[in-house]
Amino acid sequence: MTEKQIYDKKKDNKNKKSFITLLFSNLFGNKEQLSLMEEEQVQSPWRTILKTFKSNKVAMTGLIVFLLIFLTVMVGPLIKPIDLSFSETSQIHIAPGMDLMKFPESLNGKVSDIAVGPSFSVAASTDGKFHIWGKTRVSSVIDVKNLPRDESNNLINMGNVVRVATGFDHIVVLNDQGQVYSWGSNRQQQSNVPIEVRQLNNIKDVYAGYQCSLVLTEDGKSIYFGNQMNNDYYPYHQYQGQLQKLAVTADAMLGLTFDGNVVYLGTQNNSYSTIPENMGNVVDIAATASTVAALNDEGKVFIWGNVSQKGEGNIAETSEKITAIYGGRYHYTALTEKGNVVAWGSNVYKQSTVPESVINANIADIYTGYYQNYAVTEDGELLTWGLKGYLFGTDDLGRDIFTRLLNGGRMSMTIGAVAVIISVFIGVVVGALSGFLGGKVDIVLQRVSEVVAALPFLPFAMILSALIGNSLSSTQRIVLIMVILGLLSWTGLQRLVRAQVLSVREQEYVIAARSVGVKRMSIIFRHILPNVISIILVSATLSFATSMLTESSLSYLGFGVQAPHPTWGNMLFGANNSIVIQNYWWRWVYASIVLGVCVICINLVGDGLRDAIDPKSQER
Amino acid sequence: MIKYTLKRILYMLFVFSIMSVILFSLYNMIPGDPARSEVEGLRETLKPDEYQLAYEQARARLGLDDPAVVRYGRWAKGLLSGDLGQSKVHKVPVTKVVTQPLKTTIFINIFAVIIGLGLTIPLGIYTAVKKNSTFDKIVQVMTIVGHSIPVFIFALLFIYAFSVRLGWFPVSGMNTPNFKGTGWEAFKDTMWHLALPLLVMTIGALAGLTRYVRAAMADALSMDYIKTARAKGLKEKVVILSHAWRNALLPVVTLIIGWFMSIFYGSLITERMFNLNGLGKLLIQSLNDMDYDVVMAIQLLYVVIALLGNLVSDLSYGLVDPRVRVNK
Repeated sequence: MTEKQIYDKKKDNKNKKSFITLLFSNLFGNKEQLSLMEEEQVQSPWRTILKTFKSNKVAMTGLIVFLLIFLTVMVGPLIKPIDLSFSETSQIHIAPGMDLMKFPESLNGKVSDIAVGPSFSVAASTDGKFHIWGKTRVSSVIDVKNLPRDESNNLINMGNVVRVATGFDHIVVLNDQGQVYSWGSNRQQQSNVPIEVRQLNNIKDVYAGYQCSLVLTEDGKSIYFGNQMNNDYYPYHQYQGQLQKLAVTADAMLGLTFDGNVVYLGTQNNSYSTIPENMGNVVDIAATASTVAALNDEGKVFIWGNVSQKGEGNIAETSEKITAIYGGRYHYTALTEKGNVVAWGSNVYKQSTVPESVINANIADIYTGYYQNYAVTEDGELLTWGLKGYLFGTDDLGRDIFTRLLNGGRMSMTIGAVAVIISVFIGVVVGALSGFLGGKVDIVLQRVSEVVAALPFLPFAMILSALIGNSLSSTQRIVLIMVILGLLSWTGLQRLVRAQVLSVREQEYVIAARSVGVKRMSIIFRHILPNVISIILVSATLSFATSMLTESSLSYLGFGVQAPHPTWGNMLFGANNSIVIQNYWWRWVYASIVLGVCVICINLVGDGLRDAIDPKSQER
Repeated sequence: MIKYTLKRILYMLFVFSIMSVILFSLYNMIPGDPARSEVEGLRETLKPDEYQLAYEQARARLGLDDPAVVRYGRWAKGLLSGDLGQSKVHKVPVTKVVTQPLKTTIFINIFAVIIGLGLTIPLGIYTAVKKNSTFDKIVQVMTIVGHSIPVFIFALLFIYAFSVRLGWFPVSGMNTPNFKGTGWEAFKDTMWHLALPLLVMTIGALAGLTRYVRAAMADALSMDYIKTARAKGLKEKVVILSHAWRNALLPVVTLIIGWFMSIFYGSLITERMFNLNGLGKLLIQSLNDMDYDVVMAIQLLYVVIALLGNLVSDLSYGLVDPRVRVNK
């Protein structure tokens, strides 16, 4: 026998006790110590419940999914807090997807001009090709990806495109023959190139703004077409023939003259027209939606216009001399003489946080617009930063649906939970009192409960919310909804608790407690109630689901939580017309899915709990 | 039985009067001055003191300065004689405003209830008999899903699928505008418009009721007398339909009666989504227009129906279950 075999045998002997040892140990009780629980297979009812519940795969899946949703909506709002007053007209109804800055690979290294629109971007490459990417559907009928066609529906050959410009919902391009093409929304004639422009052959540049387009000629003249009312532009302004560059805000046009002055091209006296004095020789101008910036030859930047809290006025500190500035929707970027980039202004979408890759590279040119920035390095590489897109799209006020889902989920769940706590409290107190005391108290309480139960739930909740909620602030209204839901939904639990109390009322331990003189209230709430807690738990879980459903129905009808506070129900408010249902499916699909899944999971958990607590019900 | 019925009716009247007091005080809490709004139009034409006089006269005429008890008495008297007040928006008596939507609602809901009961009761019985079969499990999963998803999501989905994508049914409305045709054609046109709402309403109610019928039926089937009946050699059909179903009926009856009563409630969401001119839509509209006399009338109607429902279900227990009859 080798040593190993001996060792194995010894080990075997240790594990397999010989018959004699077993006999002795069984006879004289010298056996392995089992805990009492193991030996007698005794488990507390709660452990049995837990075990049965754990073995129920469907219920466990429901629990896990629910917990995931719960954690997401509880933690999510901390990461993505909601700005209740947020609305952004340029970001309305953008389809889900993160491809707003996914420029075509063929553009890399060949950029000649880029223009950024609200949800789409266009570019001209050095070989004269036109590129477009992003979310190009700007309304339910207009897709700016559809290039212009002539009368016989053939694509117009635009030739070699050299300059591009994007407005709110239209595109203007200029080719090397000096011809201008425009397409997209044409409600205000902004993409209808007038004859006087078509006859020109010295066009230098094209610009586009909100419902308007502008062309600039070599000899310093500007020609405007589009909405005459919204934008303050005077066609016969005194600077015709002196302009070398234009800047377009959301409602005004400014120009830079050949001799380095900034001029206002409209007639009104407003914050844009009060141009700062002593700016010196201005070399570049740029505009955001509501401000104008000018850069003089010493590298100093001046900002004026409707400078807001968004921070367009907080010019970034840099030791290097700024040589060019560019304006986005609410932010500016600037290029320094050493090829570095600085940015300031609104940073909602990280559009003014310059990324490492851009800081490390030598930048030759920047294209900024709305919420995106494109930087071209000296090697021709294209780098981007800013708004990538929206995971779940945006709604009719340009709000990110994902953020609203997170915050709305927290609100929906909080309302459901508080409503359940209220209804459980009332239900338990009424049921226990009614069951234990009996007699007149029982009759009165049962009649009250009968009436409350018989009233149609939704209309009554709606009427109460409308009558009382009229004069309340939105936060008070949320509390009101919780209370109404709680006040109207306790009857089912009350009946259950009462039945349970009735069945345990005459049991020995209650009689014993009574005989030693325990007070009645103490008997009800300390002796009887713990024995019916399992029923309460199941009922509370199921009514949590019901509360969330009712809240969403109420909010959907406009009588629950009201905008701007999001809940899963009121996010669907206003989705019930065929245009939204068909074209902006993301406005209702995601909220519906998450609400449905969440409620299904809660119901599964409730059913699983009921099966675990009352094994008899499993046989049903 | 007659004594019991009378007792219940008396109790019903008692509860109704209490509810009317609660509702009256609730509606009195609403800020607003009917006298002021009545004379507001005269403000431009009258001198200030004349205007004040007219205002005070209006107050006196409307009895706004009387104590609450007197006002309640006057209101209750009007209520008993069928005067529910005047609609602020439609400028006609409330009873007239409510009649047409109520008819529409009843018309729609009768179909929904018939379809719903016709489907759920056989389905519930069948799944209880074939418990744990594959079919039963599928139905169980579907009912849990149907139970958990709010009606308006179903409505959105169906509109998207059947109206927008497939174009089989109209998106909303009850008739084709300016429809001309014989009575039968008009009926067909209405049913074509109502197909989707009815589908949505049926699905909404299907899930809960099927689960309930199934549970009651499964309970009844597990009783000893079923074993006895089978042992006697009775046909399975007889065992299920007369032994088990008769006993399962008691818990189901409450639910069925509740559902019949819902014929009158109007379905807020369905009516709103499909733009059907029913009671639910009228309620939403009146709430939005702050036409509180109409709201009040609808709410009183709800209370009456709820109480009647209670009465009917109490009485029907006696019909369904002889044991209850003996006890009373």
